[in-house]
Amino acid sequence: MSVIQPLFRLLCVLSLVLAGSGSGSGSGSGSGSGRNASVSHEYCVLGAGPAGLQMGYFLSRSQRDYIILERNAGPGSFFQIYPRHRKLISINKIYTGRRNKEFNLRHDWNSLLSDRPSLLFQRISRELYPNADDFPRYLSTFVKELGLKVKYGADIGTIKASDFNGNQGYILTDQNGVSYQCSVLLVSTGLWVPQQVDFLGSDLVEGYESIPTDPEEFKDQAVLILGKGNSAFETAQSILGRASRIHLYSPSPVRLAWQTHYVGDLRAINNELLDTYQLKSLDGLVEGRLEDIAIVRREKDGLRRRMAKKRSQKSTEGKEQLYLTLTELLDQNGNNISKITGQNLPGFHTDNFSLRQPYDRVIRCLGFRFNFSIFDGSARPPQSSGARGRLPGITAWYEGRGTPNMFVLGTAAHSRDYRMSAGGFVHGFRYTVRAVHKILEQRYHNIAWPATKLPISQLQSWILRRVNEASGPYQMFGVLGDIILLRGSYCEYLEEFPLQALPQLSALSGRPLTDQGLLVLVMQYGLNRTDTLGPGRAESEWTKAWRSNFLHPVLYYYNTLPTEKDMRQRPVGWPLPRPEALHHMVEDFLTEWDQPISHSQPLRRFLEHCLQTDLRAFYAESCFLLSLTSRTPPLFCRQGYLRKQGIVGNSHLWQHAREAGLMADHQRDITPGDDTSVSEYLKHAGAAVVSTMNFDL
Amino acid sequence: AHRIMCIVYLIAFLFSLTSEQCSSKLMEDSSQSFMERMHTGKTSFIYFGNHVNPTIKLFMEQLEMSADALQDYGISVVKVNCSKDAIANYCTGEKLMTKAYLFRGSEVLRSFDIDTVFDVNAIVSHVLFSVLFNEVRYVHTPAELLRVESAAKQNSDIVVGHIPVLGLPEHRALMEAAFVYGTKYQFVQTSGTLVLKHMGVVDLSSSQARLWFLHCKGVSRRSDPCPSTPMRKPLNTINIHTFLQLMEAPLTESVLDPSEVDVVHLHLGVPVLYLFSQPQTQHLDRATAQTLGLQLRGEVGLVLIHRDSPNVKTSLKYNAAYRLPQEDVKYFTLNSAEGVVKLFKEELLQEQKLENEEEDEEHWSDLDILDDEVSESVYRDRDLMLDLESVIELTSDTFQITVTQDDITVVLFYFKWDAVCMAFIQSYIEVADALEGMNGVKLAAVNCGEWTDICSDQNVTSFPTVLIYRPMAAAQLYRGMLGTKSLHRFILLSLGSSPYILSSSAEVMSFMEGDLYSKHMYLTPVRVLGLFSSTHDMGVTSFEEAARLLRGESILGLFAHKEMIHVWTSEVEGLSVNLPALLVSRGPGVPYEVYSLPSSSPTDLVSLIKQVELDRFPELTVENLPWYLELGKPLLLLFIGKEDSTESTKALAEIKQPLSSGQLDSFLPCWIHLGRTPVGRSILEKYLGFVPPLPVLVMSQLKTGEEVFLFPPERPLMAKNILQWIHDVENGQEQPAGLIPDGKWGPPVPFFDFLAIMDQEAPTYAVQRAPKMKTGGREDHRENKHVTPNQKQTPHPSSNPQAPRQHSEL
Repeated sequence: MSVIQPLFRLLCVLSLVLAGSGSGSGSGSGSGSGRNASVSHEYCVLGAGPAGLQMGYFLSRSQRDYIILERNAGPGSFFQIYPRHRKLISINKIYTGRRNKEFNLRHDWNSLLSDRPSLLFQRISRELYPNADDFPRYLSTFVKELGLKVKYGADIGTIKASDFNGNQGYILTDQNGVSYQCSVLLVSTGLWVPQQVDFLGSDLVEGYESIPTDPEEFKDQAVLILGKGNSAFETAQSILGRASRIHLYSPSPVRLAWQTHYVGDLRAINNELLDTYQLKSLDGLVEGRLEDIAIVRREKDGLRRRMAKKRSQKSTEGKEQLYLTLTELLDQNGNNISKITGQNLPGFHTDNFSLRQPYDRVIRCLGFRFNFSIFDGSARPPQSSGARGRLPGITAWYEGRGTPNMFVLGTAAHSRDYRMSAGGFVHGFRYTVRAVHKILEQRYHNIAWPATKLPISQLQSWILRRVNEASGPYQMFGVLGDIILLRGSYCEYLEEFPLQALPQLSALSGRPLTDQGLLVLVMQYGLNRTDTLGPGRAESEWTKAWRSNFLHPVLYYYNTLPTEKDMRQRPVGWPLPRPEALHHMVEDFLTEWDQPISHSQPLRRFLEHCLQTDLRAFYAESCFLLSLTSRTPPLFCRQGYLRKQGIVGNSHLWQHAREAGLMADHQRDITPGDDTSVSEYLKHAGAAVVSTMNFDL
Repeated sequence: AHRIMCIVYLIAFLFSLTSEQCSSKLMEDSSQSFMERMHTGKTSFIYFGNHVNPTIKLFMEQLEMSADALQDYGISVVKVNCSKDAIANYCTGEKLMTKAYLFRGSEVLRSFDIDTVFDVNAIVSHVLFSVLFNEVRYVHTPAELLRVESAAKQNSDIVVGHIPVLGLPEHRALMEAAFVYGTKYQFVQTSGTLVLKHMGVVDLSSSQARLWFLHCKGVSRRSDPCPSTPMRKPLNTINIHTFLQLMEAPLTESVLDPSEVDVVHLHLGVPVLYLFSQPQTQHLDRATAQTLGLQLRGEVGLVLIHRDSPNVKTSLKYNAAYRLPQEDVKYFTLNSAEGVVKLFKEELLQEQKLENEEEDEEHWSDLDILDDEVSESVYRDRDLMLDLESVIELTSDTFQITVTQDDITVVLFYFKWDAVCMAFIQSYIEVADALEGMNGVKLAAVNCGEWTDICSDQNVTSFPTVLIYRPMAAAQLYRGMLGTKSLHRFILLSLGSSPYILSSSAEVMSFMEGDLYSKHMYLTPVRVLGLFSSTHDMGVTSFEEAARLLRGESILGLFAHKEMIHVWTSEVEGLSVNLPALLVSRGPGVPYEVYSLPSSSPTDLVSLIKQVELDRFPELTVENLPWYLELGKPLLLLFIGKEDSTESTKALAEIKQPLSSGQLDSFLPCWIHLGRTPVGRSILEKYLGFVPPLPVLVMSQLKTGEEVFLFPPERPLMAKNILQWIHDVENGQEQPAGLIPDGKWGPPVPFFDFLAIMDQEAPTYAVQRAPKMKTGGREDHRENKHVTPNQKQTPHPSSNPQAPRQHSEL
């Protein structure tokens, strides 16, 4: 194999739940005939896939003027075709042993968010890995039950920026010449243009989008698949029992989702070929650059043939076989290659070249790209710097770079967390969409980001609540985090803010900042430096929590809001800049962070350090003592007892506290009989009331 | 002036102690030399004797040794042989032989039984204590100590020695130190446990001598307490000397390399920490060093080394160094001040003082021990299964139906993992058990860890929360104490109407005297009645709304009939009412109080009613204190014993007397019954340092702050004496008996600093990237660089050793 520079990484389609009913094909006739109908909406959502519908739900709930435009006749048309072998690899776990609706969303990767408890995907399918047909069905139900405004059959061909009273808006034109004037454009068109790599002979290659799905068609064939992602493996897996030999070729080695924690990497459900490769059953994986290869055709009889534009004869040339070779070995004459001889093949030069045997088929499974073509120059977002430029470049708050008032949602917005988190998948972007909606509400309607005002004494229990049930930060780990604005004796709790936009927190959320600092709660995977299944992979000592490998909560404390510069220079691999103080809650095998010694107390001590105050709880009696013998009693007493909400306890609990040496023992000269006074009192009280009950009521 | 010399002597003396004495300094006086001595005016310690028995022989040996010791303090030790020179007054009488005398000139400062001055240590300590009588303050109580402190503030520092037994070597060591350092510091000697407690010593049983340094000189405001540093080593002259030296010099500055710096600490066998300072950050560095110096004072010496000096050769990669006694300098890089304190406190010093275990080290600083009384007490019950039988556990499916079924459904919203919730749930079950079988009341609970949707729907944001549901009405928040009694009372009171609509003067009478609704008498004897001229009166609606808001908290009646009110009030002696009015009865036979009822909003009315319900001379209990503290008045607090003695009854009556004439209006007169509220004993101890015989009257929570005044126990507790005392206190003529500290309630344990650990164990992991690095943070980019051969020269992002945010080297 030649030395390959793998400039491109993920090559195979994220056949997991890709968003998209692509709107707007290249047809773009715009035929300008007499009907210059024009409609105007405050919000236009482009595409009725999961992201578009999710945004539609939030816009509808806040009673905004919106329309969802969809070129197909129903929602989620991407899923009518993909994944080609019709099995979704998004987890639909119905039984979790819990009835907490928020918690259960951690294990439901297909449902969209709504306030209807019954509108969950499990209503449509009970399968852990459901059939792809079920997803459009679910989306239809979602549209119908929530009464979302979707206009089907509107195929948007062009999008132009335009000035609406000094603000940039967008004019969308469909195939019938109807134009839509949109103050805010929400692009949720998904990714559906198959990604192609230009190399010699790429026209001889079949695409994932059009290959036959009947394994019988691959009977005894040698197959080369370009790509090593889920679609490549999905394809390989379906023909494993029929094909004679399956080779997967792409620049980078296979990445296993269970090792990287990135669900876009190869999922175990698709990885049977790893078995047949490692057990030497004629299948294999090879790394190399795609730009350097060429696919050439050479007849078995060795006749010279011109290679270009022979596809039309393919049906008659069934015995022609395809060879993988390297561009540098070809005698090139423009695009025309003449005379494929043995010398043009690598096996001639290196006798044991891995891919020296010919193939019957070469299949491209390189994923999809964003459709930039419908955007006029005035409205086109730039290509992302990562993900091979397949995605639009967007800001930390999901607005197109250079396209104000146009936001990108769903899989198309994955450039923010590409290969990092779940923003490209339904179970992730449903939360991003919710966050973007909150940003819209603030920017266009002056409705601040919802915040719960909590007394500081309640902060710890809120953090524990979120850590133990919240699905947003759990799914969108490292991307969405809860923000706690400290305000002295109370705080404001903001849920699921996009972390990368932290420097713009105040403007985006409409929540003013004070000099009291803030806390950020993030779920994170750890260093991941150990063998994923090897010994020492899990940490159980809370003092070593920062070495946790699995998803665990991390709290960052900042005196002042990090700046853009702090953000840019954040430590390698961190979601946020180095804070003033940091707390990792040790990973938990059961993901239940509620134990007093390992979870609660270390968290309390961290909060105590950040707030510089004692956050311990005290019984009413202790607060009584402290209120009379200290000018400022501890916070818990001030926010509970002194507001007449003291926690009294009973003699049994006090006994424990006294034995532990935590509560002063004043009872030493009190006769034991006094302890039972409460229960006796109750006996008496209850009796008195029962006997006179009928008299009064 | 000779005291300064004594420092030198002292050191010399310490080393000469063990060496054999070749010549005795003990002098023997004749009548002649005794007379001369009387005229010199010098201090001498003289023993008069006439014969020697074994006891005296031993004493003489000790006396001889003390002569050497006391010579250093300019005190002569003399013996007079009475059988040779019979000196008038001293060589006669029965006290001869058993007494020794301390003279200044011809004046006897003190005489001692030789049993008291039994050995050299006892002689030296007692003699010096007598000589220093005016300089070393002897205190018994914390209040006395506080007085010394407040005199010394901003003036001089204080050395407090706790000497449980006089005459022992520790006492001598303290006295010797007082002699040497007495002009510099205020010395205080104490022996009781009261002061010990005040200084925060937990284990009072040990009879160990102790010493503290109180930093009073540097306090910035006179109201601030003096910070104290305990001496952690045993009390002996060397240790005290070392300790005081360390107190002097928390921070030294130098322009030499660490190995060159000569500081007193090295001679005293104390570790030294060196920090390096850069010229541009000198101020910050010095501030950091000073803070550290204060934190480590007494245990570690701190030297700030200026890097701009050419003598400093330490590599720039280090920013700190330390040197343990008898060891070489070790260099290291530190990232935070906390890290250093930790390094010393937890590692270096621990190794050093393995043999001196400190007993007042807080036992809960162990990281895995719960230090929260509520959490710990709940945790100790972890193997108990909660019996929730009498409480209905609600789910999303049953919630709506259940809360609309009964007259009253009480619902507790809780988290299983929240200790406060779990502590309260025990009380909740007790209430449920007590109410079991009662019609119309149901107690239920929602586990918010599971049924998060219910808790969000019901807008519960605080845990635990108790809501009261009634059919067709909005849920009412229970605002009372989270305890069995309070909740139980609330539920029972909630069952009645609010307000009770009264329709005849007989009913009104019965209501006010507690006959009507007598079942509530034991819940609260207080009845509040709204009087209106007619039901059409504007105020009636407002009153009714207020009554609804107060449901469960108060017993309210409504009587709206002008004529009948006139008839009724004319029957009650001394009652005259202008409608609308509020009438309060505090129990049968107690005269009613009348308040005018302004037209106001229901919420204002609620606070008015709550206010008039308050007792004017309440017994403070754990459950009612917050209502009274809210008034913000200074407390005139009477503590009475658990036996209801006549003295207590009399004291209560004496305070009531000026109360009714309005002379105590600026105070809240109140009392605590130590039998019903045993924690009152701890309050007294905190106030005074001890529990005096009861009853006791104190004044606390004054606007001016921290002082607690004690009504002099020797004066009879009588109204006129009390008023006089109050007057004296107000005029500053009384000394406070104690202080209420203004504790800050900071974090109870040191912070477990993950960042510091990361910096130590993975130095580049938590460090901000250097500027101008490629941004992004997406892994694909970085990984590309590693494998792209022609870009290999790209600096690795994690090569930056220091967080740029941090100033200079600290």
